[in-house]
Amino acid sequence: MYKANSYPPRGAEQGLASCHICEKASPISIGVCPRCGAHLHFRKPDSINRTIALMLSAAVLYIPANLLPILTIRELGIPREKTIISGLVEFWQMGSYPIAIVIFSASILIPLLKIIALLWLCGAAKGMIPYSAKMLGKVYWVTELLGRWSMVDIFVVAILVAMVQLGNYMTVTPGPGALAFAGVVILTMLAAMSFDPRLLWDQLEGKTEPDKINSDCE
Amino acid sequence: MDAGSIRTTLTLPRAAHALIHEGTPIVGWGVAVFTILTPLILAGGLVYVCVPLLFGRIAPGGMFVARWISITEPWNMIEVFLLGVLVSLMKLGKLADLHFGMGFWAFAVLMFCMAAAVAAIDKKELWDRLEVAKNHV
Repeated sequence: MYKANSYPPRGAEQGLASCHICEKASPISIGVCPRCGAHLHFRKPDSINRTIALMLSAAVLYIPANLLPILTIRELGIPREKTIISGLVEFWQMGSYPIAIVIFSASILIPLLKIIALLWLCGAAKGMIPYSAKMLGKVYWVTELLGRWSMVDIFVVAILVAMVQLGNYMTVTPGPGALAFAGVVILTMLAAMSFDPRLLWDQLEGKTEPDKINSDCE
Repeated sequence: MDAGSIRTTLTLPRAAHALIHEGTPIVGWGVAVFTILTPLILAGGLVYVCVPLLFGRIAPGGMFVARWISITEPWNMIEVFLLGVLVSLMKLGKLADLHFGMGFWAFAVLMFCMAAAVAAIDKKELWDRLEVAKNHV
């Protein structure tokens, strides 16, 4: 193990903050980035609290997103309601396994893994869970990368609703599950953005309380 | 798409429009933002910022536009939308004859160009060059 004082000096100790937008390092005392005009903070402000709040909202919405119908197919006047899972089962039974797997990963697995991963990251950054920085850094990177792909089901609904308007024969209307699901995707993306992975490195070097660093120097 | 004698076509604004009018306006606006607005800001913004930089100049408001490029980048979802198109085609395939319009191919090419452009750009270099250009003026 390294000793805490064997690390190279950190930007925050020198009063330097890296801009969140353009990554230029500037003294925190000037307040806004001289290059791009963004506000300067040592770490993303209130990062863990915001991440947890957004994450919990997403976790709550995840339930109606999967239980409520995302669309209603009205065939010859008879309505059939489809949830994400019933659409998935249909593809599986049709024998379209690759598509079923893509939908399963994008709609069910990724949001769930994101929620777990971000709670894990927050716990680690608070120092409540022991961790390997290298691995958690990768977990964060993957979480950010994959988040957008969950939107695919919403786009499918949009396309079906727009295309399948065949009068009395068949129409498709969106259901309340679509709204809940879009909410889950957007909230998990916002949560991933508000998490600051540098908190993990701070924790590892024993320099905790980043919010205190922020407030001390502002 | 041809189903029996009925023919419908799909464009991106129409997909968003349909959602807005079929009871989920919020989702509809979301789709419009993620597939129309953000790619426009991203592609337009990159051209607007990068072309003057070739000549060592900065476009008026270049810093502001570059900031918006950074902000919109994660919300650009055209490749996800394209996957959605493919999934929908699988769903509709048994129901009707489907033909790709010109727009589909344009969209697919747009996706590849955009992914290549975003992958090719080194943001640190972009900002460094912007700063140099700004100080020269």
